[in-house]
Amino acid sequence: MNPLVVVILVSLAAAPTTALAGFWRPRWAGPVALAGTALAFAAALWNWHSPGATVDREWAPTWGLRLHVQSDGLAAVYSLLATGIGLAVVLYALAYIPSHLHHQHRDDGDATRFFAFLLLFMGAMVGLVHAQDLFLIFLFWDLTAIASYFLIGYDRQRREARISAIMALQITCVSAIGFLIGSLMLGERFGTYQLPELIAQVESSRYVTVAMAFMLIAALAKSAQAPAHFWLPRAMAAPTPVSAYLHSAAMVAAGVFLIGRIYPLIALSDLLLDVLTIAGAASILVGGILALSRDNLKQLLAYSTISQYGYVVLMFGIGGAYGVGAASFYVLAHGVCKCALFLTAGAVSEATDQRELSNLGGLWRHYPLLAVASGVAAAALAGLPLTIGWFKDELFFNAAVDDGFPATLMAMIAATLTFAYMGRFWLGIFAGPDRGAGRSISPLLVWPIVALAVVAVVGGIVTGPFVRLAAAAASATLGRDVDLHVGYAINTEAKIALVVFASGAILVATYRFWREFPVTIAILGAVVGPDRIYSSVINGLNRLSDRIHWIEVRDLRSRVASVLAPAAVLFVVSLVMTRFTGPFRTGDLKSGDGPIVLMLILIGIAALTAAAPRNHFSMVLALSGVGYGLAVVYSLLRAPDVAIVAVLIETILSLLVFGFLALLPADVDPAEVIPVDDPEQQAQEDHALRDAGLAISAGAFAFVVAWGVMSRPAALESVIAEHVALTPDAHGSDVVTTILADFRGFDTAGEITVLGIAFLGAATLLRRRVAR
Amino acid sequence: MSIMAQFAARVLLMPIWMVAFAMLVKGYVDTGDGFSAGVVASLAVLMQYLVFGVKQAESFWIVRKARLLAAIGLLIAVGVAFVPVFLGDSIMTHYPRPDRDVIHLGALELITAMLFDVGVFLLVIGFCTSAIDLIAHSASRRTP
Amino acid sequence: MTMMFALAIAVLFAAGCYLLLKPDFVKILGGIILISNAAILFIMAAGLSRGREAIYPIEPGQRVSDPLVQSMALTAIVISFGVSALMIGMIYRVYMAHRSIDVELISDIEEREVQIEEEERLDQSIDAMPDREETVADPAAEREPQAVAT
Repeated sequence: MNPLVVVILVSLAAAPTTALAGFWRPRWAGPVALAGTALAFAAALWNWHSPGATVDREWAPTWGLRLHVQSDGLAAVYSLLATGIGLAVVLYALAYIPSHLHHQHRDDGDATRFFAFLLLFMGAMVGLVHAQDLFLIFLFWDLTAIASYFLIGYDRQRREARISAIMALQITCVSAIGFLIGSLMLGERFGTYQLPELIAQVESSRYVTVAMAFMLIAALAKSAQAPAHFWLPRAMAAPTPVSAYLHSAAMVAAGVFLIGRIYPLIALSDLLLDVLTIAGAASILVGGILALSRDNLKQLLAYSTISQYGYVVLMFGIGGAYGVGAASFYVLAHGVCKCALFLTAGAVSEATDQRELSNLGGLWRHYPLLAVASGVAAAALAGLPLTIGWFKDELFFNAAVDDGFPATLMAMIAATLTFAYMGRFWLGIFAGPDRGAGRSISPLLVWPIVALAVVAVVGGIVTGPFVRLAAAAASATLGRDVDLHVGYAINTEAKIALVVFASGAILVATYRFWREFPVTIAILGAVVGPDRIYSSVINGLNRLSDRIHWIEVRDLRSRVASVLAPAAVLFVVSLVMTRFTGPFRTGDLKSGDGPIVLMLILIGIAALTAAAPRNHFSMVLALSGVGYGLAVVYSLLRAPDVAIVAVLIETILSLLVFGFLALLPADVDPAEVIPVDDPEQQAQEDHALRDAGLAISAGAFAFVVAWGVMSRPAALESVIAEHVALTPDAHGSDVVTTILADFRGFDTAGEITVLGIAFLGAATLLRRRVAR
Repeated sequence: MSIMAQFAARVLLMPIWMVAFAMLVKGYVDTGDGFSAGVVASLAVLMQYLVFGVKQAESFWIVRKARLLAAIGLLIAVGVAFVPVFLGDSIMTHYPRPDRDVIHLGALELITAMLFDVGVFLLVIGFCTSAIDLIAHSASRRTP
Repeated sequence: MTMMFALAIAVLFAAGCYLLLKPDFVKILGGIILISNAAILFIMAAGLSRGREAIYPIEPGQRVSDPLVQSMALTAIVISFGVSALMIGMIYRVYMAHRSIDVELISDIEEREVQIEEEERLDQSIDAMPDREETVADPAAEREPQAVAT
């Protein structure tokens, strides 16, 4: 068994299995989800230890699609994160979600939705990180966006949650189009959609730069880099486990992953590397400063995520073996810590019903274990020694120092900000005056945090596996072997770190004196920031659609007339311009054609009757007369298939329309209302004259066209003979059915799709509980 | 409705479906196809509505599962259209190919084109019966 | 024969157009059905050959009625059925919303609604921002609304 296939299949199968189990027995969704995640994590570990596997299979060969997946260091980092963090989050959610649903008076069965979409998210991530075909990447990329939409909007009764979900979907899906455009550009030029082949043969050129810029749009928007950062804090409307997963292992990490995956192509252009550097630096500043301005626990963490992924993007921008290696290591370390911090925020809010730092304090007396575990996570994120965070900062500083002074300064500012908001976060919750205890916290809410904290500490002592993983990821990104070394030593990096701790501590201590500064910036950002642009774009589009709708609807009938009249003019012009080469043939009237002519006359009379001003009922009766008459004509034309369908359709359609008329009260039918003498009546009659004139001219044109076309038939040697001759080869006898299902089967597939859509529409419109 | 009509409606249901089924499976050989078979079958359902009334007809399994049937039908038909792409053939390729022999079950010929027709058949039944049900249901609510 | 078909198509089309211009949604539906019928008859009448049914056994050289237009007509019939069913649903919904199926009455109502909406929008052009709570930095205002079951 190939471990690569196992890890992908297990991750992708987890979501449907959970959904099925949940539908069958709602209680089982959680345990099944836990088992699925645990299996996926085990498979990911196994896959890491047997690297290099590739599966490259034709998928839709006529379209050039391939199922091309490969396990490498980069995939190992992100799949371990997705499944490992997923395991912690699912474990936590087992306790969190039932109480969350209970608070909102929702049905316990809703938990199934949560677990199923969370695992779908995990499956999509695992698929994404292994994919090597650009279309496959795009597929999984959008799958993560869809899963995140359902998870962010999980509390669907809250308007805020729905708006946030839509915003996240719009930002990430619209930007994903950029990735698609970039892929198509590369694929068209270089004839392949396989990343390894592309990386091997693409040379630097302006064309490639443009294509990669499109791809970068997708990656940066998804990793919530400024200026597309605003969707991430809003996504905090999701339940806490979702936020934890979204920030540490899935959604946002996917953006950074994509940069790592296509890095060799980005690095062909210095311009794009500069874009990465600037976007990263901007995000560090925006995220860091806004994190200091927030009082809400989850908001603070959300902005910190923006700034933390800013580090990673900055490191990719700096580049080089250490930059790229540091980026992967950073993602790993950050994922572990940030998940633990989010889970802490959720546990604290769950116990105390408080979500703001200003209402919390002194909780270490009541929840010592939680305090220690989240303290370790916060310390690790702030980069204190003896945690994995020390090394993430060491690698970061190392890369920055190599790059030069501006990068070093940026790195110091970044780390200082991180230290400051982490200090604020932990001290604000656990230190300070005692404000009393909340409810007791379920152990299931604490142990995942403890486990993550243990990982963070182990990573600070036994660095081997983590560094190897990051080095493997960097090797995969750069396409050459990368060796990373970390260790405790008094070197430049350590000195920078000490300076950072000192200045960070000063910032924390003096926070209340300069608190107004980040708050002012936050207000400024809200007034002129990109989210303002986003909402005005959305509002503008809404207004535009209202406008068009209004213009369309205002006077529908004149609208129809004003479409018909120019069409008629154009038509006359084209008639005049056409040179008529042949005569209009009346056609020969054979002896057997009598019944057809008779039927056609009947049909004409029925149609005129239907059009005459009568009530609905007699109109529909006359219409079915037309339909049945046509069916007779078709059968006389020796077209039994058409005739039978025409009869059947006419029957069921007439019955449906009669049933529908029974739904409407008689007085909506203008013909049933006793006419009163008023000026409007007069206007109606004027309309009737105008309408009749328009209709007669339309009929006249139809006559000329139909007669003209039928007078000059194409050569008889047509596709007919071929269709008739080929029918036995298609194992059929009825030529018409064979054409429908085989020769022109794709048309039929389109037709039934239209039927399906019409069905969906009709069923929605006529659904039983009309909202009113 | 009279006892006679109820009796007739009940007795005629299966024969009508039989006719519909025959039209479906013999569509390739004779007049009719999945579409007309679907409409015939739904007309039989419509007859139940007319004779037994909405309440009783709604408990009929085919009415309750109408949407599911439509979805399955669409999936089957689109599946038949697109599966060949994954096997390296062009879209809407039918099997067995012209040079191969068809598996016969008595007079019945098993070809994927018929599976496609089955999809159309299910979609049409689902479409028609739920349209009938929706209108009949709304009508019965208006005049309780 | 050709002219007879053309005449029948023209009558169907003209009657359909006439109904389409009526202010009454049910008549518009009737107009659309008639125009589809005209189109289907046109497709059928444009068949190149007429003969016996296109069902095997067919002797070599025997004339059959054009199977291609038949299959196209079938497709057209099915689609026009789907469209008619969808229209029934739409008309019903319009009736439920406005208690009328008069096109002009309904557009009057819509016009009034749009005007009212415009006025409301002017009144609260700034409040309409979805991120209102984000702009407030006051800690108390930042509190998430307690979820209440609806």
